[in-house]
Amino acid sequence: MGKGAVNKLRNSIENSIKEDELFEFAEFDEEEAKRGGYSNYSYWRSTWKVFISNRLAAFLLILMAVLLLFTFIQPYLPNQKSPTKIHNHPETNLPLKNLRPNEEFWFGTNSIGQDLWARVWSGTRTSLMIAIIVGLWEAIVGITIGALWGYVRWLDRPITEIYNIINNIPKTIILILMTYIMKPSMFTMIFAICLTSWIDMARFVRNLTIIIRDREYNLASKCLGTPTRRIITKNLLPYLVSVIMLTIALSIPSTIGYEVFLTYIGLGLPVKTPSLGNLVNEGRLLILNPSQRYQLIFPSIVVSVITISFYILGNVFSDAADPKNHV
Amino acid sequence: MKRLLALMLVLILVLSACSPKTDETSTDKEDEIAEYSVLYSGEITTLNYLVTSTTAEFALAANFVDSLIDFDRYGVAVPGLATEWEVSDDGLVWTLKIREGVKWVTHDGEEYAEVTAHDWVDAAKYLLNPANESKTANIFYSVIENAEEYYKGEITDFSQVGVRAVSDYVLEYKLKKPTPYFLSMLNYVCFLPANGDFLEEVGDRFGTDNVNFLYNGAYIMEVFEPQSRRILVKNENYWDKDNVFIDRIVMTYNQEAATLGPELFVRGEVDYSGIPASLVEEWMQDPARKDLIRPNRTSFYSYFYALNFDPKFDEEYEPENWKIAVNNRNFRKSLFHALDRVAAMTTAEPYNPEQRLSNTITPKNFVNFEGKDYVEFGKLKEFTNTDSFNPDLALKYRDEAKKELEGKVKFPIIVYMPYNSGSTEWANRAQVVEQQMENLLGTDYIDIVIDARPPTNFLSEVRRSGKYAFLECNWGPDYADPETYTDPFYPGGTYNFPEYVEGYNDPNGEKRYTNLVDAARAEVNDIEKRYELFAEAEAFLIEEAFVIPYAVGGGGYSASRLNPFESMYSPFGVSPERYKGHKLLDKPMNTEEFLQELEKWEQERVEALKKASQ
Amino acid sequence: MLKYSIKRLFQSLLTLFIIVTVVFLLMRLLPEEGYFGDAYEKLDEAQREAILTSMGLRDPIHIQLINFYKNLLKGDLGESITFRPRVPVMEIIKDKVPYSLYFGLASIAISLIVGISLGIAMARNKSKFWDKLGTGYIVFVRAVPAAVYFLFIQIYITDIFKLPMLFKIDDPKTWILPTISMSLGGIASYAMWIRRYMVDELNKDYVKLARAKGLDSKKIMVRHVFRNAFVPMAQYLPATILFTISGSIYIESLYSIPGMGGLLVEVIKRQDNTLVQALVLIYSSIGIVGLFLGDILMALFDPRIKLER
Repeated sequence: MGKGAVNKLRNSIENSIKEDELFEFAEFDEEEAKRGGYSNYSYWRSTWKVFISNRLAAFLLILMAVLLLFTFIQPYLPNQKSPTKIHNHPETNLPLKNLRPNEEFWFGTNSIGQDLWARVWSGTRTSLMIAIIVGLWEAIVGITIGALWGYVRWLDRPITEIYNIINNIPKTIILILMTYIMKPSMFTMIFAICLTSWIDMARFVRNLTIIIRDREYNLASKCLGTPTRRIITKNLLPYLVSVIMLTIALSIPSTIGYEVFLTYIGLGLPVKTPSLGNLVNEGRLLILNPSQRYQLIFPSIVVSVITISFYILGNVFSDAADPKNHV
Repeated sequence: MKRLLALMLVLILVLSACSPKTDETSTDKEDEIAEYSVLYSGEITTLNYLVTSTTAEFALAANFVDSLIDFDRYGVAVPGLATEWEVSDDGLVWTLKIREGVKWVTHDGEEYAEVTAHDWVDAAKYLLNPANESKTANIFYSVIENAEEYYKGEITDFSQVGVRAVSDYVLEYKLKKPTPYFLSMLNYVCFLPANGDFLEEVGDRFGTDNVNFLYNGAYIMEVFEPQSRRILVKNENYWDKDNVFIDRIVMTYNQEAATLGPELFVRGEVDYSGIPASLVEEWMQDPARKDLIRPNRTSFYSYFYALNFDPKFDEEYEPENWKIAVNNRNFRKSLFHALDRVAAMTTAEPYNPEQRLSNTITPKNFVNFEGKDYVEFGKLKEFTNTDSFNPDLALKYRDEAKKELEGKVKFPIIVYMPYNSGSTEWANRAQVVEQQMENLLGTDYIDIVIDARPPTNFLSEVRRSGKYAFLECNWGPDYADPETYTDPFYPGGTYNFPEYVEGYNDPNGEKRYTNLVDAARAEVNDIEKRYELFAEAEAFLIEEAFVIPYAVGGGGYSASRLNPFESMYSPFGVSPERYKGHKLLDKPMNTEEFLQELEKWEQERVEALKKASQ
Repeated sequence: MLKYSIKRLFQSLLTLFIIVTVVFLLMRLLPEEGYFGDAYEKLDEAQREAILTSMGLRDPIHIQLINFYKNLLKGDLGESITFRPRVPVMEIIKDKVPYSLYFGLASIAISLIVGISLGIAMARNKSKFWDKLGTGYIVFVRAVPAAVYFLFIQIYITDIFKLPMLFKIDDPKTWILPTISMSLGGIASYAMWIRRYMVDELNKDYVKLARAKGLDSKKIMVRHVFRNAFVPMAQYLPATILFTISGSIYIESLYSIPGMGGLLVEVIKRQDNTLVQALVLIYSSIGIVGLFLGDILMALFDPRIKLER
């Protein structure tokens, strides 16, 4: 195509459209401006979208919600037995102990004739409650202290030494002394676990913070005078969300395991409130005993389902929390 | 992946090369050696038999060091290191002739010295030195003249203490007061000998391991690795070695012995294992395993439910209300007859719970007079064979108690029952007892409140300080005489404080029970009379429902290549812990055989005791 | 760096002093009954006093504390009082450490090698076969309580291979199973974290750049991604290795291994003050040094981390 032809074409176009018809002044519209400046991207909404688009995760999330709900309404359903009542044989009046699962006792009875079905759900309720409270506490206290410890240089030394002290005084001594002062109850148990559990979370967050605190973008932020609080919440934590979510998810099953130890040293829950930790521990002794193994299996299944669900939920959520995975 | 595996293999090899040094013990055995191997789950703290009071600890020393007297398998006293003995007419001076030619040997079997009467004097000297922290010194000084004064530093001249070597082979004990059961005490750890030179030589380290120890008994400890294993071998220099039939005893430490033991027994890796209650039913239904297990013999630990007469627990549980109630005989009797002990026992012994129940505080077969068991004496006999659980009587007493207490107490009466949260069995039992008694007596009458208390300091916090209304307690004997079972209830005891009961006052200002015990204690010459008087005192506690007898210790099931009826029999002391006299069975005893043997043993025992008393 | 290290370790001496003193005092708050075990019941007052005096517990508390530090400076940690009375605590500890050290180090080595390999394989094949298999394994180890699967392994594997069930020092066959069982948890946790960190790293721009440059993907993985992913774990490594001397309670009790597992908890329960103090001293030194070495290691792996200012 020759030069002349191009010019010719241009002229014909210019002639056919008038200049003022081509552009017009736009009115300033704040809403529109926002839409242009920012996308409709919201971090948490996207995370949620990616998360929920994983069918397994969605299923497990619903499962956990249903489980939690069920443990609360279970006692009010018809035909439910009390978790502590000992059932006796109507004629001999001896406890109906170690009955295998049947129509009357769906999960069988334990070694003194209590209904395992009721105990498992009552235990699940207690254990989940404790685990969730402890998980939240760990997250809030652990992350706050951990982030400060890692990011604020002058706090590093003092907090490191405080950490060393708290971490190295054997928990057993403190717990045994606590049994002296406090009575076994749900509150005591939560208190005992919360007392020391945040320490590990804090150290974990601190390590991650140290790794990224000296990266260039943080340096830049700092030079621009961004306050520490803002750097921590906007620059650091989003980076850590994925791994933090995973640890919180894992802390829930480990709290259930910790209960057993506390019960052993006498800080456990009173008999009136069964817990998953206790049920598994009692069942463990029956492992070599095929005819009574169901007493281990039922609570173990619940523990396993909770553990697996939280593990997978934690992992999927971690993946989803990474902005690079957002579409 | 292959490279990785190779790397791992190399790593394992390297690591095993720098692993802890292995021992050069010879493992090649000759065919005829009778070896007995067993797991144990609790490590001992010391071998020092002059210090410890723990059975598991002196059970070892019992096989290494002989005592003055022994018991045969029926419980008849027989010569040990003392060949003969006599007591003065006033019952105060005991003279014992020491066996000649018995040697002390070191851990590698070398002769160290001869056993002489001085060894008992030196042992006493060691025992009575407070710096040695002996936990059995009090038992020694409760009978021996001037021993307590010496221990407490009131006298410093040891020659004033009532133990003396008249010559190398004659030993003499002088007692504070006539003690009819003194002979049986000679079988306890605080009356075992120790070589004075050796004590001096090793000083503080005496009994800390197998090297710092001298042996004159049936076995020598060849290997002692705490939390790992112990190997006991027959002492070739033992004076009575013809009666030692097991040549080698291998004990392996395993904290999970209760879980792993049964499986190891089936595989033939051990010759003894306790069978946990939960497994018993399973094994009994399995024809291959049924014949492997048998019941255990019961012990002389006595378990009972105590009603507290001096309640000091929190206001929340209404101690004043309880105090009024507990002083009402009908109320106590209603509880007494309402406790279903079989139901309670199923938490510990689900299979055959009856074998451990006891209807008296002093267990059966504890002591006897000329073959007549103590529990068959006097009024006690009425209770020995009757189950206290009787719903009809319980309800009858409840109705009467209700009538009498109406307006005086608040119904339902709170019965505060703590338990030790360290024990799952106890926790279960507390729930069973609570629901069983409330169901029977009605929740408008009593309200049993069970309360989990931490194991730390449990006894101090609960029983000794009186912070309970109704509690499961236990007591083990200190010597072979019914007097030992009165200690918890006699004024000064820390069990249920019966001296605070209202009424039961005797003209001399003492409580009836105190007088009954005092009268029995004073009778030191006529043993038959003595037992009768003690039986009367014990019957009083049961009749008036101060205490509900519940059970004896021991029991359970085990799989074992030992015959439990071959062991020396004694309710107290070191003899029952000895392997001497035991033979290895080719196959374990089963339940039927056990019951047959038990019956046979009981008959033979009556004969043996009668014969011995002639 | 050297100056920083010296200063920081020096500071930690003070921390150590505080820890040991606090533990010393806390132990003395425990009830006196605990020193007697089951024997308390049968002793009379004179004996209890005699025993407590002989244990040195009747001295005023500050004298006890001064004596303790005086002896410590002389290198004497004292004698056990209730666990194995009159035996020097160092003797007790010395006998046990080698066992725990051997099993601990062997299992860490295995966990690291297998765990990291598995983690890398999972991250590289995200959502494919290896990832699913690995996840299955991790989930299993996490979901089944350790106490339960350890027991299963011990009972059934020994039955299948006709191995002795218990550890015997002079039988090498009995060393294998405890070592492997002990590694299972470690493998799962290393694999899980390596996968997590690597998946996070893989999305970063430098990886995309390296790919665009045409670098071999295996090289990218090992040289870049793994190195960065390993940094957060590096912090824990020294402490983990050092703490192998504290042993594993479950494995040691199941297989009868006379190691350190559970010793601290046990002696606290028995109130063996001297042994508790010695162990706390050792463990907290390790803890402090471990945290410090972890920081150094992290800085070595990732030069962008600056510890000192």
